[in-house]
Amino acid sequence: MSGNHGNGHHRHDESSASLRARALESLLIEKGLTSSDLVDKVISAYEQDVGPKNGAKVVARAWADPAYKARLLADGSSAVEELGFGGALIAVVENTPTVHNLVVCTLCSCYPSALLGLPPTWYKSFAYRSRAVIEPRAVLREFGLDLDESVEVRVWDSSSELRYLVLPERPAGTENLSEEELAELVTRDAMIGVAKVQAPVAAR
Amino acid sequence: MNGPHDMGGMHGFGPIVREENEPVFHEAWERTVYTIQRAIRARGLINIDESRHGIERMPPAEYLAASYYERWLASLERNLVEKGVITREELEARTVLLRDHPETPAPEREDPELVALMQEPPSGQELYQRDGTTARFSAGQRVITRNVHPTGHTRLPRYVRGKRGTVHAVRGGFVFPDTHAHGQGEQPQPMYTVCFEGEELWGPSSEPRERVYVDLWEPYLEPDGA
Amino acid sequence: MTMQPDRQIADMGGASSLPRKNGELVFDAAWEARVFGMTISMHERSLFAWDEFRSELIEEIAEADRAGSDSTYYERWLEAFEHLLVEKGLLSHEELAARLADFESGRRDDAF
Repeated sequence: MSGNHGNGHHRHDESSASLRARALESLLIEKGLTSSDLVDKVISAYEQDVGPKNGAKVVARAWADPAYKARLLADGSSAVEELGFGGALIAVVENTPTVHNLVVCTLCSCYPSALLGLPPTWYKSFAYRSRAVIEPRAVLREFGLDLDESVEVRVWDSSSELRYLVLPERPAGTENLSEEELAELVTRDAMIGVAKVQAPVAAR
Repeated sequence: MNGPHDMGGMHGFGPIVREENEPVFHEAWERTVYTIQRAIRARGLINIDESRHGIERMPPAEYLAASYYERWLASLERNLVEKGVITREELEARTVLLRDHPETPAPEREDPELVALMQEPPSGQELYQRDGTTARFSAGQRVITRNVHPTGHTRLPRYVRGKRGTVHAVRGGFVFPDTHAHGQGEQPQPMYTVCFEGEELWGPSSEPRERVYVDLWEPYLEPDGA
Repeated sequence: MTMQPDRQIADMGGASSLPRKNGELVFDAAWEARVFGMTISMHERSLFAWDEFRSELIEEIAEADRAGSDSTYYERWLEAFEHLLVEKGLLSHEELAARLADFESGRRDDAF
């Protein structure tokens, strides 16, 4: 490859920020100020930080393993403890083609933090707390989820220390995904009940 | 109590606003309040029912104007003063000092035991489940909630008082919030998840095919003879 | 033992808060994660105090907003990080410019 050809050989459509980042990383590593290992570790640690990842693992396991799913629905606390998430009282409610579940705490903002991390501001808002129990379908439409009238909507008001987690429906076209890949699809919003889980782009 | 916090079914709060980046804490002080709350709970200084009741006792106009962490802060201030951990005067004096001399250094103290305590997941004890109670009602049984309006702490929302429902699940014994929030002990009671039809709660304008499930303690319930 | 996220970083509030969606960190491109990782990795090695970087970040965000720029959060992070590195004498503008030219021309193509 010959010398200065200006913006010649970088990756097609690579942004200038991306180039700067690569240049920077290469310098920092050369000078011993960091290592690519350490950078990887940091990214991984922060991405895996307490948050909905725990809940997603529970959902993926339930999708992949029918016996686990049965245990989960019968005794949520024990079943999530099997996966290492102890210290919480959990009841899991299952979405089906005819039943859609939604979780709220009208009196304060109780939330399954052990599995989902800290709640989003909207979950704690007066608008959500007041409206979820009286007009759940209208609330879901605001979130972009329009349920058919034939689907029963169940709203769970978390008035005790028991915390509710929605087991969303597994999207079609995911039969060949591994448990890790399934967990990647599960969002916090789906486990609260304001969204459904989307199939991965390729399968749609 | 029939306080501003009991908002199931209230109108007028508008659309549900979602933030672009959903920061966990909007300001540094929020994280401080969160951490103080956790430390206080870890030490058993204030229990969760007392915490909640501290928020509920905010004057309604203040409650409705306050942000989530402002409400926690108000509850901490109220409870810590009531329990004699700090005095109102001390709190005021320190606030004035920091306002007028913001460069005042914060006190520093290491407490590795407390840190370790806060990092442990809560035990069953902390989660308020208790053995030794006998459930009066069984799954599938029809019940009616009492039309009571206690002035103290309760977890019976107004929108489900005097309503007919069906026991969905029998959850076992739980610490009773109505006594625990007032220094009257745990007095565990059987707790149930009760299912209410949307129309029972909201009348003819209720949305189609809606059911609301609420966790209720036995003293809130009577058998439904009808 | 797995690295634990530093709460003062993960829970930053206000304008400097890490972009999240559905409770999870959002990186719109791989380079954003790399820049994030580089900065924090150097902080982990005690090469600077977090507040030193954070105040650069806040300043950069404020400047960009004043100028009406539509730069993204991590573009501003990158500016702030480079600024901090130069200020602390860890890198020079010349070195950065030279290395960037290497990548732009294709003389170098390191992958991480």
